[in-house]
Amino acid sequence: MAVPLPLPPPGPQFVLRGTQSAVNALHFGGGAQAQGRQLLFSGSQSGLVHIWSLQTRRTVATLDGHGGQSVTWLQMLPQSHQLLSQGRDLRLCLWDLAEGRNAIVDSVCLESVAFCRSSVLAEGQARWLLALPGKGSDEVQILEMPSKTSVCTLKPEADAKPGMPMCLGLWQAESSPRPLLLAGYEDGSVALWDVWERKVCSRVSCHEEPVMGLDFDSQKARGVSGSAGKALAVWSLNGQQALQVCSTHQLTNPGISDITVRPDRKILATAGWDHRIRVFHWRTMKPLAVLAFHSASVHCVAFATNGLLAAGSKDQRISIWSLYQRT
Amino acid sequence: MAVFDTPQEAFGILRPVCVQLTKTQTVENVEHLQAQLQAVSDTALQELQQYILFPLRFTLKTPGPKRERLVQSVVECLTFVLSSTCVKEQELLQELFSELSTCLYSPNSQKPAAVSEELKLAVIQGLNTLMHSAYGDIILAFYKPSILPRLGFAVSLLLGLAEQEKSKQIKIAALKCLQVLLFQCDCQDHPRSLDELEQQHLGDLFASFLPGISTALTRVITGDFKQGHSIVVCSLKIFHKTVGFVMADEQLRRLSKAQAEPVVEHRIAELMVHREGDWVKNTSDKLVILIKKIIECVSVHPHWKVRLELVDLVEALLLKCSQSLVDSAGPLLKALVGLINDESSEVQAQCNNVLRQFADQKVVVGNRAFTDILSESLHSLTTSLPRLMNSQDDQGKFSTLSLLLGYLKLLGPKINFVLNSVAHLQRLSKALIQVLELDVADVKIVEERSWNSDDLSASPKTPTTWQGNQVQRRYFRFFTDERVFLLLRQVCRLLGYYGNLYLLVDHFMELYHESVVYRKQATMILNELVTGAAGLEVEDLQEKHTKTSPEELREIVTSLLELYTSQENWYLVTCIETEEGEELMMKQSDLQAITSRVHTCQIISFPAFSKPSPTICSMNSNIWQIYIQLEGINQFAYALGKDFHLLLMSALYPVLEKAGDQTLLISQVATCTMVDICVACNYDSLQDLINENSDYLVNGISLNLRHLSLHPHTAKVLEVMLRNSDATLLPLVADVVQDVLATLDQFYDKRTASFVSILHALLVALAQWFPETSYIGQPQDQSLKEEGSYLHQTLKNNTTAEDIEQFVLDYLKEKDVADGNVLDFDSDEEKLSVPPTLEENDTLPDVEPPLPVHIQIAKDVMERCIHLLSDKNLKIRLKVLDVLGLCVIVLQSYKNQLLPLVHRAWPSLVHRLTNDDPLAVLRAFKALCTLGGKCGDFLRNRFCKDVLPKLAGSLVTQAPISARAGPVYSHTLAFKLQLAVLQGLGPLCERLDLGEGDLNKVADACLIYLSTKQPVKLQEAAKRVLDLDCM
Repeated sequence: MAVPLPLPPPGPQFVLRGTQSAVNALHFGGGAQAQGRQLLFSGSQSGLVHIWSLQTRRTVATLDGHGGQSVTWLQMLPQSHQLLSQGRDLRLCLWDLAEGRNAIVDSVCLESVAFCRSSVLAEGQARWLLALPGKGSDEVQILEMPSKTSVCTLKPEADAKPGMPMCLGLWQAESSPRPLLLAGYEDGSVALWDVWERKVCSRVSCHEEPVMGLDFDSQKARGVSGSAGKALAVWSLNGQQALQVCSTHQLTNPGISDITVRPDRKILATAGWDHRIRVFHWRTMKPLAVLAFHSASVHCVAFATNGLLAAGSKDQRISIWSLYQRT
Repeated sequence: MAVFDTPQEAFGILRPVCVQLTKTQTVENVEHLQAQLQAVSDTALQELQQYILFPLRFTLKTPGPKRERLVQSVVECLTFVLSSTCVKEQELLQELFSELSTCLYSPNSQKPAAVSEELKLAVIQGLNTLMHSAYGDIILAFYKPSILPRLGFAVSLLLGLAEQEKSKQIKIAALKCLQVLLFQCDCQDHPRSLDELEQQHLGDLFASFLPGISTALTRVITGDFKQGHSIVVCSLKIFHKTVGFVMADEQLRRLSKAQAEPVVEHRIAELMVHREGDWVKNTSDKLVILIKKIIECVSVHPHWKVRLELVDLVEALLLKCSQSLVDSAGPLLKALVGLINDESSEVQAQCNNVLRQFADQKVVVGNRAFTDILSESLHSLTTSLPRLMNSQDDQGKFSTLSLLLGYLKLLGPKINFVLNSVAHLQRLSKALIQVLELDVADVKIVEERSWNSDDLSASPKTPTTWQGNQVQRRYFRFFTDERVFLLLRQVCRLLGYYGNLYLLVDHFMELYHESVVYRKQATMILNELVTGAAGLEVEDLQEKHTKTSPEELREIVTSLLELYTSQENWYLVTCIETEEGEELMMKQSDLQAITSRVHTCQIISFPAFSKPSPTICSMNSNIWQIYIQLEGINQFAYALGKDFHLLLMSALYPVLEKAGDQTLLISQVATCTMVDICVACNYDSLQDLINENSDYLVNGISLNLRHLSLHPHTAKVLEVMLRNSDATLLPLVADVVQDVLATLDQFYDKRTASFVSILHALLVALAQWFPETSYIGQPQDQSLKEEGSYLHQTLKNNTTAEDIEQFVLDYLKEKDVADGNVLDFDSDEEKLSVPPTLEENDTLPDVEPPLPVHIQIAKDVMERCIHLLSDKNLKIRLKVLDVLGLCVIVLQSYKNQLLPLVHRAWPSLVHRLTNDDPLAVLRAFKALCTLGGKCGDFLRNRFCKDVLPKLAGSLVTQAPISARAGPVYSHTLAFKLQLAVLQGLGPLCERLDLGEGDLNKVADACLIYLSTKQPVKLQEAAKRVLDLDCM
């Protein structure tokens, strides 16, 4: 210790092991009201959903509801103890986790095998909207839950041919109750749908390769998307509901499997096929850090409300990082 | 038996005797009367009381000189009458009282008359009996202001007797009598308790005597120890009863209200005392002096009963006169506190009782003044504590600390008042820190090494918790008595128990940071504070008001753990880095190596230390620091119990790291700590602890491996884990092993030694966990864990018919697989998700089944070994050769993996066998034997071509040397090498199935060793080789 060493590159705060298969989906739950008992949900290739306690860093429970087929998406409904999980078994399950229960209370059948992760818009508890890939390969279906009544099917115009939807983002502007859907398509374009009118408000082509992930900041009306290619695209939405590409950012290695902006809208993180997690400043898009820990491609990244970052990788590990915390 | 029951009869008998006595007053007549009285019943006597008393009193009153003998017998007779009758008239009582008192009156001097001791005794007893025989009402009427002079005379008389007489009997009788006079008799004859008014009158009356009584009694009490304990006990009792009565808060409080003084004569009025504020103040001032004197003397009195009485005195005075004697409270409490740790258990018990009673009644806590006094005492004690600790001997320290402990106990939750003052807290902490300074001059602690941690694996079988039974005695600079240390611990625990834990922990953490000099002590104190806060092993007297909640405690412990295990506090230099240093010890052997070439490898000169080497003292100090910190973790676990589970993720890793430390003391205490954590967190064994928490450990290892230069001890943790666990650990560790190998690849030049030792530990573990079974050559398709868990499951559940069916099906399937018929498993991950019970017919014949984890690991390790075999560090080469042997053992059933590796390793191994240090040659030969055993004919040609000629050649060249050598030769390396080769050659030749020509070479080389000139062992070994060869 005598020789002063330069500070080592930061390591993860800790690593969760034991999924025994690649981690495809991550979601933080428990929220701010239960600071000590914060939970992390992870969906694995083997079809299991693990619930991790961040306090003990161990699995609290394991949910097995997708018949051994990979779990691709996890989402907790706000202000409830219900978890949504989407699996490659063409099922979307709704789990009741209140008071230690873990039972499927409802499920929705998906009608196509797609890579697309679903999206939820739930302001109140009573009714919420669910966007999921539809029957046709280029369709997106919107369901009203929990009644499971189909609101509409969003099908691109015949001449557009954007390919399959790859990622979805349902949102609502603060000014109007009108639900909007952002969808990234196989051809590298991002489209904004007006759900009520069932039409595309705007479409912008921002990638050469399929869009793999997108996240949208409704306050700044700015979104970011990542693709299988070497670039990140930042686009914005003007007053006329038109999408415009603001900038693109070149990456060293191609392939982004997930992208997410931290809830406080300060930074964003990408999950790279090059085994690395990249962190950018959200306003300036200045690259801040490249987190190298995983030994296989990173499949998903998620932020907790308190700023903790989790990344799940094909190497079966979930790394938890504490970055640029507000002090 | 009384003969005369009726007064008439009795009168008949007694009359002549009385008359006779009245006429001639002689001893004989008095005795006659007394003899007659024996025969009279009590009732009759009561009737005739006045009549009988007359001649007696007459005798006493007769003027002129009297003979003492006569007076004595008269008094005795009088006493007899009084003891069987009651005095019903106040006149009589008064008269008798004066008459008896005057018997001892000498007009000329202040002192009691110079009369015989018998007479004095008789008079005292007479007075005593008189007071007892008076009717309740009468006696109250007796205590009027007008009696004051007479009563005063009697009191001073008795005090004089008690003080100046030689006879113990008289003294005690006088004291007893005084007690009766002062209405404090504790016999059963005074059933009536006094009402408030009466008490007050009496109090007023006795107040006049208080100065006299208290000073005289103090003189008696502080007199020679030899005067006998009962006198002192008695005096103490009267002292506290009288003072307690006169100065009682209750009376004084009422006095201020009631002021209607009865009109009395002027002369008497002068004697009367009015107990107003001024008087109380003055008296209490004077009493303080007396009380201090008494305490000073009595608290060290050799007889325990005296000390016991002192406890009673303190109790009585503090309970009754807490306000009037407020100034004495300090000394009184101090006396009480000082007696808490008395030698006598009775005194201790009583002391504790009293303290508990005080606590219950909130005497101290509820009384602001007392709290102030105690705080003041505590402060003055802490102020002088450092000085006292410096100057006192162990006994003195013991009593001083007992006192400190007592104060803390008494103050209870109120110690926070003291602690909240910065000055107080600083004094106290400085004192504690100073006393607890360790002596770190012992060299042995630095010397002792745990070379081999085999004992570690043995320890879990004897899970001795070490609470209280210390592994290593610590030596303090300022005391040697272990009791002092125990007291200090108790003091710290009480502080933790009652005090504001945040404040205290904060303060001592500051001291921890402040200087290395304080660090060890502060750590010790912090540890005890936490234990105390958990309420463990604390002798508490009073309920805590604010109990530290488990969450708070956990928070505090977490921050302490962070402090202890932080980089700069946990990785202290405890030894001169031996990793490079050990090379020095490898003495270069100048022996003829088995290779014909003389070994020329020069030992690299010891690298000059760039930094000044730490002194023994500082290393010793560091060792103790770590020791105490480990002990702290141990205590935290104990304090938190099951709550400690949550801290395991940060605590277990550092402890394991220390369990692998080279310093014996540290590795011992770390192991103990682990055992204790097992106990606290309810694990059955160390193995359980490690297995169940391997996720935390693996996390730490893998994160630290990323920055190996910062965390050079990471390797040790894995080693300790492996050494203490079983095969169930493997799936969890597999991940990390890959990390280790990857890191090793990055750091081939540095730190190789520690990696090689991990690999060694790993392979030893693997060889042990997966012993070679009968199914040689059968690839295992399922990972062992799966099998294990399945088996476990079937064992656990009730076996149903389906289970059995399933089992049979599985068995058949596995058998099929074992026969090599099915190759349906592929490495594609997607396929793995299919339940394994599903038969799949579409086979992919070209894909090999995935290797079991342990085989994969062994394969990877062996690959590294190939490179490391030629490392320039001899020690590493030796270790790698061992690892190589182990790899071969683990891989023996997987020839497809093993043989290519052996092929690659061969050139390097041959090089070790032929061109290396003798030590390496020896080790390499052992590895070769293992290889030969497992690979058989794969090696035959290579062996014959590359090795055998040189082996045989060296045997031949060495033979003349060993033949000539003396008895010391059997201790040399060359001999060992010869022996090993000879012993190994036989089986090796057999396994390799050598051809005739090669066997002849072997035989030729061995033949020379059959010579009788050769050492016997070599002869035997050679003979065995030849035996095998012949077969």
